[in-house]
This record gives sequence, C-alpha cells and structure tokens, in this order.
Amino acid sequence: MIKKPLSRRQFLKLAAAAGAGASLGRFAPGLAYAQSGIQVADGALNPFNISNVQAEGVFFSGGFGHEYIQYAADIFGEIHPGSTMSVEGIQRVGERLRPRIISGDAPDVIDNSGAGNLDTAALVAEGELLDLAPLMNAPALDTPGKTFAETLFPGSQASGLFDGVQRYVNIAFTVFGLWNSKTLFEEKGWVYPATWDEMLALSETIKSAGIAPFTYQGKYPQYMIFGVLEPMVEKLGGVEVWKAVDNLQDGAWENPAILTALNNMKALYDNGYIMDGTEGLTHTESQAEWLQNKAAFIPCGTWLENEMRTVTPEGFDMVINPVPADDAAKLSWIDASSGEPFMVFANGKNPEAGMELLRCLLSKESAKWFAQNVGSIMPVVGGAEGVELSSAMTSALAAVSNAGDHILERPSFSTWYSDINEEAKNSMGALLTGRATAEEFIERVQGVADDVKADPDITKYERS
Amino acid sequence: MHRQKYRLIIPFLAPALILYGTFVLYPYIQAMYIAFTSWKGLRKAPRFVGLDNFQKLLSDDHFWNALYHNAIYVITLPILTLGLALFLAFMITQKVRFSSFYRVTFFFPQVMSVVAIGILWSFVYHPSIGILNSFLKLIGIGNPPVWLGDPHTALGAIAAVTVWQAAGFYMVIFMAGMQSIPSSYYEAAALDGAKRGDIFFKITLPLLWETTRSALVFIVINAMNMFGITFTMTIGEAGPDLSTDVLSTLLYREAFTHSRFGYSTAIAMAYFIIVMFLSFVLMRLTRRQTIEF
Repeated sequence: MIKKPLSRRQFLKLAAAAGAGASLGRFAPGLAYAQSGIQVADGALNPFNISNVQAEGVFFSGGFGHEYIQYAADIFGEIHPGSTMSVEGIQRVGERLRPRIISGDAPDVIDNSGAGNLDTAALVAEGELLDLAPLMNAPALDTPGKTFAETLFPGSQASGLFDGVQRYVNIAFTVFGLWNSKTLFEEKGWVYPATWDEMLALSETIKSAGIAPFTYQGKYPQYMIFGVLEPMVEKLGGVEVWKAVDNLQDGAWENPAILTALNNMKALYDNGYIMDGTEGLTHTESQAEWLQNKAAFIPCGTWLENEMRTVTPEGFDMVINPVPADDAAKLSWIDASSGEPFMVFANGKNPEAGMELLRCLLSKESAKWFAQNVGSIMPVVGGAEGVELSSAMTSALAAVSNAGDHILERPSFSTWYSDINEEAKNSMGALLTGRATAEEFIERVQGVADDVKADPDITKYERS
Repeated sequence: MHRQKYRLIIPFLAPALILYGTFVLYPYIQAMYIAFTSWKGLRKAPRFVGLDNFQKLLSDDHFWNALYHNAIYVITLPILTLGLALFLAFMITQKVRFSSFYRVTFFFPQVMSVVAIGILWSFVYHPSIGILNSFLKLIGIGNPPVWLGDPHTALGAIAAVTVWQAAGFYMVIFMAGMQSIPSSYYEAAALDGAKRGDIFFKITLPLLWETTRSALVFIVINAMNMFGITFTMTIGEAGPDLSTDVLSTLLYREAFTHSRFGYSTAIAMAYFIIVMFLSFVLMRLTRRQTIEF
C-alpha cells in the first residue's frame, strides 16, 4: 500500500507551474506537470470529477512487474491533488481477491492476469464489472482533441467486448507468431518460409542440421492454439470460421479450414519435427531450450522477450514472424491484439477513480515510460515515439506494419467458455504427441462445444 | 459434586468448541448447502437446484476419470509404501551399521514441504536435464519416456514420488511399534532357531497389527487426496490430457477455473462420503483381537 499525500516539494512545484498558468488556485488547461512530465490536454483534466478520493488498486505483478502502474498512480495523484490511488502488486489474483468480492469489498481497479486469475466470463455474467463506456468516450489525458478510445490501437480492445459492452481494457500490445533466432538463421542461411509446405521443407533441412525444427510450451499446449492454430485457420478459412465457433454454431469445429490446419500441425509430429521431451516441459523450460538453439521455432506472444530476458544469450536476436498457411500472399497477415486486462468493479467504492487510473495508465506519457522501462508496448498511438526498442519489439512492429490492414482477430471462445478452452488445450496436447488425429481433436472439442451450448447455467455471448 | 465438575470443565472446553464450531463445523454445514445450488463463487446469492449437481456427477466423464485415478492410488500406494516402510523398519531395527543415519535419511522427505518435493522431482523427471533420464541414457536406453508428459507414465511418476516421500514416515511409526515388542519374544525365537523371515512374519507383523491398521487408514486417506503433489508436479493442469487428475484437483478446477462452486462442492461431498466409507470398511475389515503384551 503506497499512499502519497502531496509533499511540500511537490506542492511548491505544482504551485510554480500553476503560477505560470491563467489563474491561481485552479489548474489551467494544457498544463505540464513537473514530477511526471505529463502535459495534460485542454479540457481533459478531470472528466470524472475526481476530488478527495482515496482509491485502491490491486494488480497482478508478473513479467511486467507493477512499477509501471505505480508510475500511472503517481500521475493520478499529481493531477488530482488530495486524491490518491494505492498500488499493490500480487500473484494468484483469483485466490486473493475472491473473498473480497464475495463480501462486497472489491478494490476499485484490478489487473486480472497471470496463473490463478479470476474467471472473466463469470465476472461479466454476474454483473461485477463496470461498463467502461464513459472511459472510452472520455477525452484522452495527453493527446489533444481525441477521446480515450481514439488513442488506442484499432482492434486492441476487441477482446474486452462482451455483447458489445466494454468490460475491460488491455494495456499491453501483443503480437503473436513464431519466433526464431535471427543470428542462427543468418548463420545457417535459412529463410523464413512463406507457406506451410515450405515450412515443412525447411523443417527437414533444420532437422538434418541436428536441430529440432519446433518446440512448444509442453505442459501448456494452448500456446500452439493461439500461436499457430488460430492464425492459420483464419488465413485458410477467413474470420467467419472463428465467429461460428465463438457463436457456438452447430458443427462449427468441423469446418474444413480447422481440419486442414490441424493436419498441418500434426505433420510436425508425424515427421519428428518436434523436439524430444517437449511435452514434459513447462513454458519457461521449453523457451530456455529454444534459447540454447535446441529448437528453431517456438510459438509465443511478444511478452517472450521480457519473460526470458535474464537467460537470453548475448546476440541471440529473437525475431517474430507470422504463421505461414497455404497462400504466400497471406503470409504477412498477423495476429496482433492486446492483453493484460484491467477491470473496474461496478459496485466498487470509487469506480470513477478506477477509470481515471486507466486513463492515466494508457496516456502517452505512461506508455513511453512502459516502453522505456519494461521494454514492451502499450496499445497507445504514439506511445513508443523516440524510444529505442529491442530486436524482438522492432520485428514485432515491422510485422504489424507489413500486415497493413490484415490484422487477424483472435477468437473469444477461450475466454468465454472455459470448458471448450480446456478440451481444446488437452486435445492439442494429444494431437502433438500422436495420441489423437485431427478428426479426433475435432470430435472431442465439438462434443464439449455441444455440451456448453446445451448447458443453461453457462452464460452465452455473441460476436459479429 | 458433579455440578462442580462441570463448572470447571465447561469454561475449559468452551473456547475450543467455539473455534471448532465456527471454523470447522459451520463451513461443513454451509458446504452441504452449496452442493445443492448453482453458485459461481461471486456475490450473487446461490440458486437452489436440488439434486442436479449430483445427477450431473454420475454422468460426468471427468469425475469418473478422476475417481479411477484415486482408485489406482488407493490400491497401489498402501502396498508399496507400507511394504517398503515395514521392510526398512525391520532391517534398521536388526541393528545394521549406520542405522541411525539411515533412519534420518529415510525420514527426511517427510519434513520437506510438498511444494518443494514437487518442484524437486519435476527436475528429476525433466526430459533433457533430469537426473533420471540422464542416467537411463547413460546405461544405454536411447529413448527414455517423458515421464510427466506421457499419459501412460505421469500417474506412476507421481505415485513413485509419494512412496518415496511417505515411506520414511511410516518406517518411523513401525520402528516405534517394533521397539515396544518385548525382546524376550525374539530371544526365545532365536533360541528355537527361527530365521529372520519367520521372526518377521510370526512375531513382528502380528504384534504390529494395531500400528499397521492406523497406518493403512492414514495412507488411504492420503491416496484419496494427492492434491499438493499433483498440483505442483503437473502445474495445475492435471497432467497430459487429465491423466493425473484426481478428485481434489478436479474439484479445485471446477471451482476456480470454471466458476462452478456448487458443482465443485458436490464433488467434495462425494469425495467426503467415499473417504468416510473407505475408512469405515478398512477399520471393520482389519479388526482383530488385540494381543496384549
């Protein structure tokens, strides 16, 4: 719990700044704040009428830490003298916060991420989460003339929509794809393939060089779902395939695009392209093996770099590429969305303060701090201006700009229906270890999808 | 006279009874109610659904899958663990050299936390840097199993860790029991020319019966639980394709992943009844006349 009342020094600084403004005793619009350096846009200072609020935030503290949230809370405190936002970083958010939610004492704002987090679909279904429309329509803190929503990357907040209502905002921009070491590929003269057939051909070359072509996050086979299956299906059959799955249409999983993609993936096992022992490793263990060049490719999102920073060999130069499918022209299409969901409780004590923290957190100034100090990117337009980025992040941004308008939309079934998510994950593990065929995968997952559809206790969502 | 006795007893018992009632009995009763509701574990009040959860239980493949794994543990763990513990206890009490060193070594896993053991053994089973597979490769087995990644070996791998961890504890219990057997019996047997095997099966084991009985109940209850070791070694994912899922991990997942607290509590109730029933049957089946010495 960090509560920062306005210190005398801060007060003097503020006062000095205020003296340069139009009138004393009232903050002028378009004002620069000395401590954080933020330049608040005209008329964007206090859309939620925050005054003398002592608000509380509890946040998942994982690969990103939680100092970047403290930075946003400092902005909050600086622009709203007399009000504070406390920042507590925790793990296993669900186990820690559930008792507080049940007793009606939820914090004002949380980051519901990491292992053991709260089931978001249940939170939405039970009406616990605030409709964030006022936040989305509020003026952006330090981008003049734009609303908050307009300053965020297009599509970055789509996963937070439940029946069209914004229930959370994602604060970390994430690109998903296949990773490899640029250094290794240059040394061996390997070129990233444009189609899946070329991928299999390259895999044969890699294998004969004594390196396993593929590994994945073993005990967590879902990485192969969001990392490979989802984008490949979308390239093969279009976004309609996943829409049908998300909307629980009968036989949605039996779509030929899904069958082809699964057979493509199974070819990795059939040809012995997956590193021996992969299925017995955790995510960090398999990633560590990959960093030692024991395998050439691994699927992941852009958090990979930060997660493995301390064990990445010098000069490894990890780069991300989109998953190839049938058509070389579609290679550049990439899955770029966002993660790390921040939520405000509908029945919290200070929901406005919760939204205000998110406005501070997704400001340009805070995004810059994040890019500089955490090495990742917030989905904020102009948030990485003038910041020097690593090879991983540079390759991710290049991949996104290559994709142009072809940014893939991730399906929502894994968030909406935990049962389908679990069955798909287990079946994917079976597929990649030769215990299930593509047809069996589809039969199993479709069976669970049918059960979910028939279960009146499971809240259903629609997307279009 | 009696009145005065109660006047003394009640104040002494009251704090314990109140604490027990509040923190043990009351949650039990509450859980019994929740098992008959569909509750998502959030603020909205539970909705009463009668026997729906129990009906669902009977047709739920995941439930039978988990129960099957528990059944395997219940059959194998007592035989392996108690067999090993008895053997070790008997050998050590036979005045072998360094017996106190062995006693401490074998007991040691018992004082370690389950989480530490789970992580330690995950490394032992690690497919590339693990000591087990490195050893197997050394002696010429080219393609050793991926112990925790293969549904055929994952359950056995966890069972082996449990035997390793628990054998020392039961060994110490058996040793205590053995040491209370009067040495005159052994001396008499030795005079009659009895062999070590005869001494073990005809003197030690019958006189240890009471100890064995309680050990059996303990280990069966443990075999029905297995939460900690399963959760840490398969990182809450219940092994490849639910191959190490047991009732305790299933009910945890139903509650915390799928937000079905009502159904999860129904599983817990079934689990509770099964454990009670097993303990009762075991106590009944193993009842013998106690030999006093």
